[in-house]
Amino acid sequence: MTRTIVSCSFAIALAILMSGCNEQATYDPSKQAGGEPPLPGAHNFLAPPIQVPKYVGWQPGKKPKVAEGLQIEAIASGLQHPRQVYALPNGDILVAESNSPDAEPVTTPKQLIAGIITSRSGKKAKGANRITLLRKRTDGSGLWDKYVFIDHLHSPFGMQLIGDTLYVADTDAILKFPYRTGDTSMTTPGVELTDLPDKINHHWTKALLASPDGKKLYVGVGSNSNVGENGLDVEYRRANVLEVDIATGGSRIYAAGIRNPTGLQWEPQTGRLWAVANERDEIGADLVPDYLTSVHEGGFYGWPYSYWGQHVDPRAQPQRPDMVAKAIRPDYSIGSHVAPLGLFFYTGNNLPAQYRGGAFIGEHGSWNRSPLSGYAVTYVAFQNGKPVGTPIPVVTGFVSDDEKESYGAPVGLTQDRDGALVIADDVGNTVWRVTKAGG
Amino acid sequence: MIPATRTYGSRFAMAIFDLLNPIPYGLFVGTLVFDITYAVTRNVFWGKGAAWLVTAGLFFAVIPRVINLVHVWISARRTVTGVEKLDFWLNLLGIIAAIFNAFVHSRDAYGIVPTNVILSVITVLLLSIGQFVVGLNGFHSKGTAHD
Repeated sequence: MTRTIVSCSFAIALAILMSGCNEQATYDPSKQAGGEPPLPGAHNFLAPPIQVPKYVGWQPGKKPKVAEGLQIEAIASGLQHPRQVYALPNGDILVAESNSPDAEPVTTPKQLIAGIITSRSGKKAKGANRITLLRKRTDGSGLWDKYVFIDHLHSPFGMQLIGDTLYVADTDAILKFPYRTGDTSMTTPGVELTDLPDKINHHWTKALLASPDGKKLYVGVGSNSNVGENGLDVEYRRANVLEVDIATGGSRIYAAGIRNPTGLQWEPQTGRLWAVANERDEIGADLVPDYLTSVHEGGFYGWPYSYWGQHVDPRAQPQRPDMVAKAIRPDYSIGSHVAPLGLFFYTGNNLPAQYRGGAFIGEHGSWNRSPLSGYAVTYVAFQNGKPVGTPIPVVTGFVSDDEKESYGAPVGLTQDRDGALVIADDVGNTVWRVTKAGG
Repeated sequence: MIPATRTYGSRFAMAIFDLLNPIPYGLFVGTLVFDITYAVTRNVFWGKGAAWLVTAGLFFAVIPRVINLVHVWISARRTVTGVEKLDFWLNLLGIIAAIFNAFVHSRDAYGIVPTNVILSVITVLLLSIGQFVVGLNGFHSKGTAHD
């Protein structure tokens, strides 16, 4: 009798355990895209879901797939975790080779285990902590030369040129360097303009965007946790967009409650500030959608207390109904767990007409969702300064069709002088260049 | 052939059992205290502490539980009493609850509440009842009668 009870409870326990591990997504990311995404109910898992493709890299001759009418080429390979790209006025392209400073202490058993599992993805590889300069040869060969431009940085990500000053956002400070057109290496050491929040650095990238008048820098600072599990005191000046005054280095919080704003750009038609952001994990394969949104001065976007407007997240305690009440709903869902890390409003005219006037998004790809989502560069069309339709996959094939192996993952985006789309691939250690087919 | 009297091997196993068996119990009681404190204070330090305590408790429970398993079900040198079997099942269920609890503690922040408290109470209660029943019936902790 006792034995029957025990074996029954054991069977039930195992069944619960298995179901906890096998939760499948029900929405295709495109079905959850747009301004009114369907949001299923939140639920806690028994074990955090993890699906991580094994990193194999790009085998010789292999490259991502592009949409019809486009072609793709590698303009630099063998890099060390190229994370962000930035085009200089003379046509040179800067590449920040960078990864997490790995300063986050292990404070839970879960971090120990998750660290081991996710390391197989190649996303944890060491970054070179430098900026490399790529220059297209003038001999018509289409080849690009590679120079070490600035070395010995500290997890750099954002880069902006204002006049003849190059600003680089390390994970702990904004540095300024004197830039001379045509230089291929920076000999002058950087001078700190201002420090940036650098404790724990759960989300370590510091996105950077200069105001059109060149007087302010906007900095995307990610949160120090998924949803406040490291305590809310370490979230001081985190999960926000900071505005830094270039003349004084003084800064203020421009907008708050954005969990991880990794890409900041001006929407060309309206001149408004837009951001892509990574939302919270572990309450469902289809929650919470990552988003693309306009960023309002003084606005609060919910993290950690609520998501997508007023959907309260009870994991963040103590709760703040006053903050939930004023949380702004983001403009546009890109899909859950796609991990948007790059944003670029395309203004060139090399790519076909359907890719003009909107934004490209570099989706680094999920690690806690089945099936995988992201692992693509998508295009979101804009009309009258607002995103419309669903994100269109433009560059894909960063993972194998069976989702078992990963070759690369797109991050930062820019366009070069010829109007080509340039993509940093930090897992594949390559910089890709997309142009119109036959061009 | 199984000897009727205790061998050195079985005495060694019991010494190890007595040495290790109190450790998981203490760690699970600690987990319960931390879980309740987290539920009340909402200070994440307690939740993270509880996650380590329940994981360590499970780690230290492996050897004494294997010894108990062998003692109750495998080494048939004498008749095993109903109390010893009850103690075995109570401990097994308590450990299963603790395994679930370790998974629950992998959630972020307040997502562990209130399941963490419920599972901690179940584990401590089952282990306590087992210990108490064994004690009431004049058994030594590993389930052997006093001489």
